[in-house]
Amino acid sequence: MDCQDAVNCGLHLVIQTSSLPEKNKVEFKLNKDTSSFPGRLSQHDLERNYSSRQGDHINLVSSSLSSFPILQRSSEEKILYSDRLSLERQKLTVCPIINGEDHLRLLNFQHNFITRIQNISNLQKLISLDLYDNQIEEISGLSTLRCLRVLLLGKNRIKKISNLENLKSLDVLDLHGNQITKIENINHLCELRVLNLARNFLSHVDNLNGLDSLTELNLRHNQITFVRDVDNLPCLQHLFLSFNNISSFDSVSCLADSSSLSDITFDGNPIAQESWYKHTVLQNMMQLRQLDMKRITEEERRMASVLAKKEEEKKRESHKQSLLKEKKRLTINNVARQWDLQQQRVASIATDEDRKDSDSAQDPCQIDGSTLSAFPEETGPLDSGLNNALQGLSVVDTYLVEVDGDTLSLYGSGALESLDRNWSVQTAGMITTVSFTFIEFDEIVHVLPKLKIKFPNSLHLKFKETNLVMLQQFNALAQLRRIDQLTIDPQGNPVVNFTLWKYYVLFRLSHFSMQKINGTEVTQNDMIMAERLFGILAHVASSELPQYRLISILGDARKKQFRYLLESKGKKPGIINEENNDSKRPVGENTNRATLNYTTREFYNEKLEEIKEKKKFCKTYIEDLVKEATEINMKNEALQKLWPQMFIELVRDAVIEIRNKNSYMKLCLQQITDQK
Amino acid sequence: MLSPERLALPDYEYLAQRHVLTYMEDAVCQLLENREDISQYGIARFFTEYFNSVCQGTHILFREFSFVQATPHNRVSFLRAFWRCFRTVGKNGDLLTMKEYHCLLQLLCPDFPLELTQKAARIVLMDDAVDCLMSFSDFLFAFQIQFYYSEFLDSVAAIYEDLLSGKNPNTVIVPTSSSGQHRQRPALGEAGMLEGVEASLFYQCLENLCDRHKYSCPPPALVKEALSNVQRLTFYGFLMALSKHHGINQALGALPDKGDLMHDPAMDEELERLVVRSKLHRTPWQHRAKEPGAFGFQRREKQEALERVSSASVPTPYHYRWEPRE
Repeated sequence: MDCQDAVNCGLHLVIQTSSLPEKNKVEFKLNKDTSSFPGRLSQHDLERNYSSRQGDHINLVSSSLSSFPILQRSSEEKILYSDRLSLERQKLTVCPIINGEDHLRLLNFQHNFITRIQNISNLQKLISLDLYDNQIEEISGLSTLRCLRVLLLGKNRIKKISNLENLKSLDVLDLHGNQITKIENINHLCELRVLNLARNFLSHVDNLNGLDSLTELNLRHNQITFVRDVDNLPCLQHLFLSFNNISSFDSVSCLADSSSLSDITFDGNPIAQESWYKHTVLQNMMQLRQLDMKRITEEERRMASVLAKKEEEKKRESHKQSLLKEKKRLTINNVARQWDLQQQRVASIATDEDRKDSDSAQDPCQIDGSTLSAFPEETGPLDSGLNNALQGLSVVDTYLVEVDGDTLSLYGSGALESLDRNWSVQTAGMITTVSFTFIEFDEIVHVLPKLKIKFPNSLHLKFKETNLVMLQQFNALAQLRRIDQLTIDPQGNPVVNFTLWKYYVLFRLSHFSMQKINGTEVTQNDMIMAERLFGILAHVASSELPQYRLISILGDARKKQFRYLLESKGKKPGIINEENNDSKRPVGENTNRATLNYTTREFYNEKLEEIKEKKKFCKTYIEDLVKEATEINMKNEALQKLWPQMFIELVRDAVIEIRNKNSYMKLCLQQITDQK
Repeated sequence: MLSPERLALPDYEYLAQRHVLTYMEDAVCQLLENREDISQYGIARFFTEYFNSVCQGTHILFREFSFVQATPHNRVSFLRAFWRCFRTVGKNGDLLTMKEYHCLLQLLCPDFPLELTQKAARIVLMDDAVDCLMSFSDFLFAFQIQFYYSEFLDSVAAIYEDLLSGKNPNTVIVPTSSSGQHRQRPALGEAGMLEGVEASLFYQCLENLCDRHKYSCPPPALVKEALSNVQRLTFYGFLMALSKHHGINQALGALPDKGDLMHDPAMDEELERLVVRSKLHRTPWQHRAKEPGAFGFQRREKQEALERVSSASVPTPYHYRWEPRE
């Protein structure tokens, strides 16, 4: 009979660990060879394979006394299969009452519709209970089954792990395909070797302490994001985490501390898609022998360690970068704040210049030859280093100098001094863009000659928050060697609000043949328009000024340039000579515009002050001249008035004298002898 | 030379009235400042050039404000220079804000005070929002009145205030310039609600003022003309009328009539030449070979520039010749 054959197979329970959804038969292979099952069940049982395809030949008699059906077996079967009972696919909705079978050891209720575990408390010798594929919602009714070793509750509707307190001998617990959200109430199962929680609703793994015998833990197809406590499982060898939600190795970091783990799966997790997945896992879990069901070779391990080192380097590098960026941001904020305060002070004409100076404690930036940014090097451990750096930075730094490839950025007026530094020729040669932010334009003007010398290739100038208010200020840019592009940010530069500012720039700096202003290309028409608007100004400025004024204005400008150079480079006569030659050669500038200069307000006032003395002197000098002239004039007029009278008197006197010829002759001769 | 009026005044006052001393002082001061440069080509030549430039009206270019406003002739020259240099801006039709006009003024006179420009703007805008756009001619004529007659206007403002508040104008003493400025701005409410002051009364006070004047003021007859059409007027209305009056403009002699404001054929010719040259200068630059002299343009540029500079002493054609007043 078929039944007979089926029954003659040995006990055959295999836990199939494939990921096939439909047929998740729970079978647990108990061979003699398997060391994982150290003879807890007798040999006798092991050899018997218990196929679960058909149920036993049983009779279910419904009793009128209770709502539960009562099970009856023929006495032959009772003797033949005294320790096992299969009620598979019996369309049971409740557990029947089983009388007279108190020595049952294996009970099979697979593929039924049972909703509650009941009526089995009398089967106190039960070792294996199979309730796979039912409708059980709660684990209950098991408190008397102290010998139970195998409990199969897969594919039910269990929401919570509970009521397992007395099952201290439990060896295999299968709860796959349920609705469990939390691992709990299993810490006393110190003999548990296999725990299957696949296809549940677990979001994290913890609370695993106490499972001192656990060798296999199946957590496939959950929603796990992090794993903890696995290092508390001293015997765990196989851990299946496929198809979960693990995205970083940090969330499973406890695995690194588990020395017993040799086989792990992560496939189907976000982490497995990462480029650093394999080598990070291998690097952190040296004890692994198998990953995602594939053996790990020596080659792979070596590669892993190499790659892991590289990762470390990169991370350190990017950490350093972000540290620097943070510092930069803070400094710039600080500079901006200082700038705003300064602007407000100027606007309200407060005179606390002294206070401002003492506020901004100048922190001299150290130059590190290897890096190109002006920060002190951070050498401490990165995490604590970040904190320290940020604290130290808070209010002290008041300016920032940054070189980024071809751009030199200066924030805050203190940064202008950095132009004095010894820039390497290579670095300085690469700079094509110079950007000024939070610095008064008048201060920048003083520094332009230095810029010309130190950064000869700077072709693009950018100004933001520099207080450009007058068209005249653009005149100062004419002294540079060449500008291709000019960017004036509207923020902090009111001059941009003027309708004509671009044309004026083009006009005054026409000798540079600029390509772009504020990002827009300069067209031929723009240049012509500029010339049309201001050409006459240039004409007037050059041809209508008297010669001496031309010379004095031009000479003045050159003298000023020299002054800056002399001040900064007193000890290098070679460079000064070079400058001499440079400015004597007409550097392509339209001479007719050269008289349009810009003197910063303070210099202008200084000059006027100097002139005051001279003016006073001139005034007195002229007054003296006038006095002299008026005196002479008066005398002249007086003479005019008196002259007629005087003339008559002269004539009268002469006539009287000569009236008597003889006495006159005597008188004359007398005079002659007297003379001798 | 020996006219009776001249002999009527004592010498020093005569010289002062003609501002001869101002120019003499300034000349000597300039000489002192630029000693090294001037000694190269002789003091006589310097004085020639200086007074030539005073005659032509180019002496005020790029000078400090205290000099520019020192004499009426300086003021007229400055107005003229401003007109000539920036006429093209007006011709282009751009409307600019007060600040921008101030910038243009500063191009010619670096320390020109903002107040004056503001006051001029107020005349144009009738004391409304000072950030409005103004046309070149409006601004220029208003600025002329404000700048040339600034002291006079201060006194007028004081008189107006007094009339508004009902005081008897004949007892008003000419205030000092500082208090005049302080009172210059009549409260917005007042000017709006009242219709200013009665024209004839106002004119009488002005006549008295002109009689007592120490500084220049517009010819009273022309002022009367300006006031003839109105019964009442506000302060800014009065100024606006002044600025638009052709006769006063002509009497000043700085600027041409409004209709001719954009015309200056000689300068236009000059401008065309400049534009053409800049066109030529630019295109070869863009395709420029490494050596500069390849197209020969740059060389020509230099020569012409040098020629330009040396022609400073040649007087330029001067269509609207400034007639000496009085």
